[in-house]
Amino acid sequence: MKMKRQQQLMQVIKNHNLFLKMFVVMVISIVAVSLFITFSSIRMSSHLFMDTFSITNTKVLGQIESRFESLSYAIVNAKNDVQDNGTIKRGLTEQGENAIAIAESKYQIMKQLERIDTNIEPYNASMIVFGKQEQLYNMNYSNWSVSWEELAEHPITHSAVNHPDILQYHYVPSLMAHSEPMIIGTKALTERSTDHVYGILYFLINEDQLKAFYEGYTSEGNNVLLINEKGTIVSSSQGQWAGKDARDVLQASKEVDKEQLEYKDVHVLQDDYMLMSEYLPTYDMYLVNLVDQNAVLQRLINPKEIIFISMGIVIIAVIIVFVISRRMTKSISQLVHQISDIANHHFNKPITETGGYEANQIAYAFNSMLHELQEYVDVVVQTQQRQRDAELRALQHQINPHFLYNTLTSVKLMVQQGKKEQATDTIHALSSLLQHALGRINQTITVEEEIENMKNYVLINQARYGDRIKVNYFISPDCLHHRLPKLVLQPFIENAFFHAFNEKKEGFIQLLIAQREDRLVCEIVDNGDGIDMAGHNMKAKRQLFTGIGVRNVHERIQLLYGHPYGVEMTSAKGEGTRVRIELPLREE
Amino acid sequence: MKKYVWIVLMSIGWLVLVACSSGEETNNSSNEGTTEYEETNAITAWAWDPAFNIAALEHAKEAYSGDYDVVIVENAQDDIIQKLNTGLSSGTTKGMPNIVLIEDYRAQSFLQAYPDAFHPLTDVINTDEFADYKTATTSLDGKQYGVPFDSGVAGLYVRTDFLEEAGYTVEDVSNITWAEYIEIGKDVKEATGKNMLTLDPNDLGQIRMMMQSNGSWYVKEDGSTPHISENESLKKAFEVYKGMMDADIAKIVSDWSQFVGAFNSGDVASVPTGNWITPSVKQAAEQSGKWAVVPIPRLDMEGAVNASNLGGSSWYVLNVEGKEQAADFLANTFGSNVELYQTLVQEVGAVGTYSPATEGDAYAVEDEFFGGEQIVSKFSEWTDDIPGVNYGQHTYAIEDIIVTGMQDYLNGTELSQVLENAQSQAEAQLK
Repeated sequence: MKMKRQQQLMQVIKNHNLFLKMFVVMVISIVAVSLFITFSSIRMSSHLFMDTFSITNTKVLGQIESRFESLSYAIVNAKNDVQDNGTIKRGLTEQGENAIAIAESKYQIMKQLERIDTNIEPYNASMIVFGKQEQLYNMNYSNWSVSWEELAEHPITHSAVNHPDILQYHYVPSLMAHSEPMIIGTKALTERSTDHVYGILYFLINEDQLKAFYEGYTSEGNNVLLINEKGTIVSSSQGQWAGKDARDVLQASKEVDKEQLEYKDVHVLQDDYMLMSEYLPTYDMYLVNLVDQNAVLQRLINPKEIIFISMGIVIIAVIIVFVISRRMTKSISQLVHQISDIANHHFNKPITETGGYEANQIAYAFNSMLHELQEYVDVVVQTQQRQRDAELRALQHQINPHFLYNTLTSVKLMVQQGKKEQATDTIHALSSLLQHALGRINQTITVEEEIENMKNYVLINQARYGDRIKVNYFISPDCLHHRLPKLVLQPFIENAFFHAFNEKKEGFIQLLIAQREDRLVCEIVDNGDGIDMAGHNMKAKRQLFTGIGVRNVHERIQLLYGHPYGVEMTSAKGEGTRVRIELPLREE
Repeated sequence: MKKYVWIVLMSIGWLVLVACSSGEETNNSSNEGTTEYEETNAITAWAWDPAFNIAALEHAKEAYSGDYDVVIVENAQDDIIQKLNTGLSSGTTKGMPNIVLIEDYRAQSFLQAYPDAFHPLTDVINTDEFADYKTATTSLDGKQYGVPFDSGVAGLYVRTDFLEEAGYTVEDVSNITWAEYIEIGKDVKEATGKNMLTLDPNDLGQIRMMMQSNGSWYVKEDGSTPHISENESLKKAFEVYKGMMDADIAKIVSDWSQFVGAFNSGDVASVPTGNWITPSVKQAAEQSGKWAVVPIPRLDMEGAVNASNLGGSSWYVLNVEGKEQAADFLANTFGSNVELYQTLVQEVGAVGTYSPATEGDAYAVEDEFFGGEQIVSKFSEWTDDIPGVNYGQHTYAIEDIIVTGMQDYLNGTELSQVLENAQSQAEAQLK
């Protein structure tokens, strides 16, 4: 079963060999081309995109930087205003004598601070002024509700006192229970002449506010963060990064800044990023742009879509290739099949002209060749027939003189012996026989007429040689009106008379004519000597009567009616000979 | 013919591919436009203090059994005012909350400036069940717009130990006038060296409390005409303020932390302010038992009472989609839920002005910190006595002028002159 199926499969493959070859080659090339184009276009667009991305992001960083600078500028202005303000300085250094004086000074300081606070108010930043003598002015309570004592102990206060000349920015994770992280700028207020620190100024900036500077430029995978010189992330578009220690980012940012790089590919914060950075000198912080290339590309280029499209194209192309090559190869294989089958149809069946132009042309050429071939064949057949006819006619006209001589000698004897009656019959039979034999050779006669001729011929022979050889006729009555060529049976009867009874001196010859299916079958059977068939197969022996040989009969029948018909002879030494003549049923 | 069919099929296939990909993009972009407030079946409420009014909202949300989800959004008070002003003046309701908390001093300015922006709640709550002074500030033209939230009822928190040292009892400071208060303050300072109270020259809360105890305000009853130079109560309050300064019994502060720090560290003997200070006073646990609460002093005038108010706020429903749901929410929580008020007192320390709630157990709790007194119940009692005033639209605008005037007065300018200046300045500014 399995073998059979395998064989079937092999057969199918063999039948569609051309198609399979073509199709497989086409499919492989289509797939290869689309794969190559897909991947190279994804790769190229990624490169192009990352390049332009880094350029725009560098510009964006510049813009963000300028926003940071403007906040820094506002803060510096406010700082200078507070530093240079005499009222504030007096209020913080001198203690009023009484409640009214104190109230006056606090009122005035508040007035001044409110005015200065408008500088930084647009940035949602606020000021706290800390005085050494328990003075505290907090411009926005909701930012940090700190008490004087708390502030006095706070590390950022110490830091400000230790570096009185610079404006420092500190990252303070969370000041109150539910508040956001803050960036606090500190500056000690110092007496110009003595460097005495009389107060401290704090600038409170919400991390949210810094976020607002860059948030519009960020997206998934495109992160901006602010990192201070200690490596702490001060502000980040990724909320969970704020406050994180990220020295690796700081290190990479320093390198980018130092080497003036456009960008750098780094592995920080447990991931691969493209890092761009700007140094913010006033804050002593780095503004860092981390781009997760994969996430950004995924969102912008969407390789899935490209692959989907090229897969679609491949499928469509393969279907088209399938259909077209199938059409082409199908017509060709049909041609091949028909051509290989043509021998079975005697080269006379034209092949159908279908399929594409090429197949049509081939079929047309093949058909016209076939047509011409047939014409030649016809000419050859006609020539042969004509030759045979001529030969037959020639033979027919040469009635063996021996036969005539012998017959006439027998008649002379009969007359001499006074057998007038018998002589008359013999003469009559001879004339009738000659009449028939000398007519047109290509005419056919009925079975009835042929039997008449045979009887005449047998009568003549028996008159001459006596009736030791008996002839019996078994003729099916329904065959009498069928027609057969002239001189078909006579050569075999003659053959039996003169060659079958050389050793045996007597016997019989039987002539049987019957209809078998669609054939007229004539059998001449004798029980004479018989011959060894080997080497004696229908020798072209000239016959006594007309010279028409047994072989001639066979060829004539085949020429007239085709291969299925003809003469078949069987014989065995000592058992007689059987000749079977098969002819088509013909009626006039 | 067949070839054309194939070309058509191919181009259709191509179009389908392109259409699929572009479809995804439009989906993405449409998501960005939606905001969190546009959810149906959800009402939004804005408040500002996570420890106080936001917490109260959370409790109300828990107590509410309706079908609507309440989204609570925390915004700074200044942001709420700014957003309301910009939103309502431009007439857009987009991004506006359903419920918003507004400080009583500012309520009238909103109600009058945007008459149609608020949804009347006259039929939703029973105004008789709330303190009169509260309904006065939360209504306009006879229509009730606000559901009162916390009471700003004022009291005088006193250190009994300091008083004792100066020879006074709690009774001696109960139901007194401000003049008596100053005298006691002098004695206390003499005996203990401690100041009697803190004063912030930039915040005239004391002046406001004094005025209201006599049913007066910076503006006349219409809520818009400045009432300064002719205002006897204001004049008296100025004199008291200067009296405290001259007597040198006030510690001058410039900042909330200093204000709280002063009484927490035992620097002052009393705190005359709103009841919302209770949690801050109790922060200094070691002072338990040393405090008492007595009625706020009154002005030495005809008609003045020992009851006043400082601060306080109320809930308002904006006239936007979902107002019925919002009104329903308020009606079933702050408008009628006695249980909720008990929870608010216990968990948040917020004293309401809903009179049926005062019968509850939480109001009768005796507070050991204040010598076992039922202070919540006391505050509720005093609430009923607070004279109702129309705060009008300009409380803070006028106060800015008054603050400057006060400095002039303290520095020796004639009081009538100061008030006349302030009057003309206010008239010019508010015209």
